[in-house]
Amino acid sequence: MEITLESVAAGMRQARYITNQRVETAVFLALALGKPLLIEGPAGAGKTEVAKVIAAMLGTELIRLQCYEGLDEARALYEWNYQKQLLRLQADEASGQRWEEISEHLFSRDYLLERPLLRAISAPRKVVLLIDEIDKADEEFEAFLLEILSDFQVSVPELGTLKAHERPVVALTSNRARELSEALRRRCLHLFIDFPGIEQERRIIELKIPDLDARLAVEAARIVNAIRKLELKKAPSIAETLDWARALLRLGVKELDTPALRATLGLLLKHEEDRERVEARASALAARPR
Amino acid sequence: MSGLRAALLDFVAELRTAGVRISIAESLDAMHAVAAAGIERLPMREALAAALIKDEADRPAFDELFARRFAPPQPHAGERRGRERRSGTFGAAGGPNPSGSASGDKTSTPKPENETEPAIRQPRTADPRPKTSHGRVAKGIAAMEQDSGQAAKPAGGPSDHDSARADESHIDPQYDGAARTGAIGSESARAAALRAIEQTPFSLYSDLEYETARAALTILSRRFRVRLARRLKLAGAGRIDLRRTLRAAIQHGGALGDLRFRTRRPRHLELLILADISGSMKYASTLMLELAAGAAGAFRRVRSFVYIDRLAEAGFERGRLVMTPPLDLYARSDFGRVLAELKARRAELISRATVIVIMGDGRNNRRPARTDLLRELGRNARAMLWLIPEAPERWNTGDSAIGQYAKVVDTLLLVRNLREMTVGLSRIA
Repeated sequence: MEITLESVAAGMRQARYITNQRVETAVFLALALGKPLLIEGPAGAGKTEVAKVIAAMLGTELIRLQCYEGLDEARALYEWNYQKQLLRLQADEASGQRWEEISEHLFSRDYLLERPLLRAISAPRKVVLLIDEIDKADEEFEAFLLEILSDFQVSVPELGTLKAHERPVVALTSNRARELSEALRRRCLHLFIDFPGIEQERRIIELKIPDLDARLAVEAARIVNAIRKLELKKAPSIAETLDWARALLRLGVKELDTPALRATLGLLLKHEEDRERVEARASALAARPR
Repeated sequence: MSGLRAALLDFVAELRTAGVRISIAESLDAMHAVAAAGIERLPMREALAAALIKDEADRPAFDELFARRFAPPQPHAGERRGRERRSGTFGAAGGPNPSGSASGDKTSTPKPENETEPAIRQPRTADPRPKTSHGRVAKGIAAMEQDSGQAAKPAGGPSDHDSARADESHIDPQYDGAARTGAIGSESARAAALRAIEQTPFSLYSDLEYETARAALTILSRRFRVRLARRLKLAGAGRIDLRRTLRAAIQHGGALGDLRFRTRRPRHLELLILADISGSMKYASTLMLELAAGAAGAFRRVRSFVYIDRLAEAGFERGRLVMTPPLDLYARSDFGRVLAELKARRAELISRATVIVIMGDGRNNRRPARTDLLRELGRNARAMLWLIPEAPERWNTGDSAIGQYAKVVDTLLLVRNLREMTVGLSRIA
């Protein structure tokens, strides 16, 4: 696939991702310049989906590294397969091999457990590496990532330096649970994905749930948009909007009035305080603006 | 091409002047990005944003400066009138009217000029000075208000992908950046408002800034808790646990390849806060108390006190500060007397697990500073941290006794705004 702004826009559209100029340009640049793309935004706004769409667009594999507190190199990069090494060691000893012979193959790729980062680097073709929720990882791990992201090579003491055959397309996502370092930001292109506006969300609903009445889709998008503007513990994500829309379809709701909204709020709001807050405003939310 | 390079370099310089941090590598990235995306206005704007703006809170400033420096060419008056007659969608400012896009599709509406024209032109003579933080706060609020207004409007307009993109291209480049991004979603406007209030000095606070800061505390509290938890959290590895290591080695045929470590004992800290709520300090102190209250779960015990000339226990009811007993807010500050009261009545609250945090300007109305008492209290505590929002050039002037207190406390930290306060407070861990 030739990488142009137009081809990226068309590719994302083909992958059923409703997009805008900002997303298209950032994705295009990440592909054209070979730079990592740092995607920030509220939870549930579609950050992870961008990486999936890039992989679908390029027709390649998506390798995902889910970050969490305490994630270390062994779980992200590689580990030696101790059990397999020990078995081999015992077998070789029984066959009377000398240590020089044994050690030669004991630290070979056969005994290396490749974790997502090494898998992405050693992949024979271009892959998409998604480093999801980098803000959940420790700062030490973030510093370790800097080396990988700038050189796309890693040093395994027993094997030497392993360099990427094809530089992977790297997408990092963050919900801003903590501030990322300036050094990491500098190395990445940046994309902020906000919740969609009413019109964009309506189009998402129509694309994903074509059976839903168009008027109901508009109403659902409008109400979700208004709910997100309230100070909630957790604003409804796009996926939750779609779940809600599916539920409306399944329940045969024809009109999004106050009772229908109250009855189905659980699909949008997952905290009791949020639910109470929105229920108190249900009539105002359900009332159609003139 | 050198003209384009010069224009981009000037633009980067303007962004830096406006407070956006841009490295040399990032400005080079911007050149590459424009070379790849082309110089049509919209792709170029987004390419520059992707390469230069790494924090969404900087986006409004970027949009504003971009609109100034790379404004679309203004058509001649006669030409504009002709276009207005043809399409009926252009606003008074000469830019396309955003509402116009909703009524027609891309093929029937004349292509907006800002999409077809190259972006490079001489900057306008408009005032290029960066906006003050006050201005940004107001803009953030305005963006949020605009956002709310948007919510009430019925949806409608174009239904396919291309026309939605055309919608975006119809946005008036002179339209305020924060409001523009706010019209698309709500989070970016919030981020801009948060950044602005975080950087507003406490000395510039009025009730308006205070209320905005309180609204921002929800997000800041979460970040503060995360930062605090990380500092307080157990280190991943303590000393080697020989028994568990040997047991693990047995599973691997006796090879000591898998070292096991003891977990470190959690640190149980207690927090004792003394906050000056006299006139000049009230905003900073109340915000700090509320921030600390939000992170109470990270400590074994948190006791908060406010003072002017006497000591009162502080708490929050429905988000408002409650003092027990009530203090005379017009009294003259006397921290020496407060220290004597603390030692006489509340000394049992201080132990080797207690971190004492004092928020004050150290202005004592020339009354005895009683640093001897502060030293004694500090001796019984784990650490003593003094946060001061007053500018350093005013320290030790007039009735300020901060120089004397600084010699007694472990750390004296300047906290001029919310951001510095959040970072400073996390040093208690």
